[in-house]
Amino acid sequence: MSARKHISFKIILFLFCTDLLETIAQFCFKKGALTAQFLKVSSLASGVDFIITLAQSHFLWLGLFFVVIIFICWSIILSKVDLSVAVPVASISYVTIPLASVIFLGEKIIFRQWSGIFLILSGIILVYFSARVREII
Amino acid sequence: MGGIFFILGLIFITDLIDTAGQLIIKASINKIDFHIDSIPKAFRLILQLIRIPRVWLAFLLSFLSLFVWLFVLSRAELGFAFSLDSMRYILIVIASAVLLKEKITLSRWLGIVCVVLGIILVASG
Repeated sequence: MSARKHISFKIILFLFCTDLLETIAQFCFKKGALTAQFLKVSSLASGVDFIITLAQSHFLWLGLFFVVIIFICWSIILSKVDLSVAVPVASISYVTIPLASVIFLGEKIIFRQWSGIFLILSGIILVYFSARVREII
Repeated sequence: MGGIFFILGLIFITDLIDTAGQLIIKASINKIDFHIDSIPKAFRLILQLIRIPRVWLAFLLSFLSLFVWLFVLSRAELGFAFSLDSMRYILIVIASAVLLKEKITLSRWLGIVCVVLGIILVASG
């Protein structure tokens, strides 16, 4: 027997944590990418050089470690909700990161960004209420 | 100049590859189809998943997408890159509807459009 129930708060929370990890991984990759910033990629050989330089970055490997954890979490989430729900709801990091940088780093957010944050939140709420999770009784 | 279109093309490619990877993983999970209510069951899902060859194709696609994205990040202005990267949401929804037969209601479409516009506003600021 299977019934359709509203997406649970637990899944949202789980998605949020996964998203946070994703942000940390992205940060690691950005740090990793910056070390290769001044390389000129103009041929296949220099492309290989670019990858080799990246592979020597500790941040890259730390990021990859997070990616494995994210895969496990993400698989569990996807076993519960539609792909077209999980992905948009995961965009919450575009809200949490600017808010965190205001609260913890004292950065300023301009009006345009506030309206963007408002739009993303409304979007997530709309997607959230369009979602129904499959649950087997 | 040509540079912007080059970056734009790369972002499109990375999003397309990423969407393909997500589709493969979601389709595989749909096929396994079991209810997870405990940690051992979650690990059983993962173990079943990594025994499917096309899931490894998805991993490969993710790595490919990652390398293209890293290249973009090392080149492009961040706000520009992240704004354009929001096209992934549109790609995911279209792919979910067409290939996974997910039912996209009007409110879900509206929500996704809001998310994309919101990201552009946040990222380009």
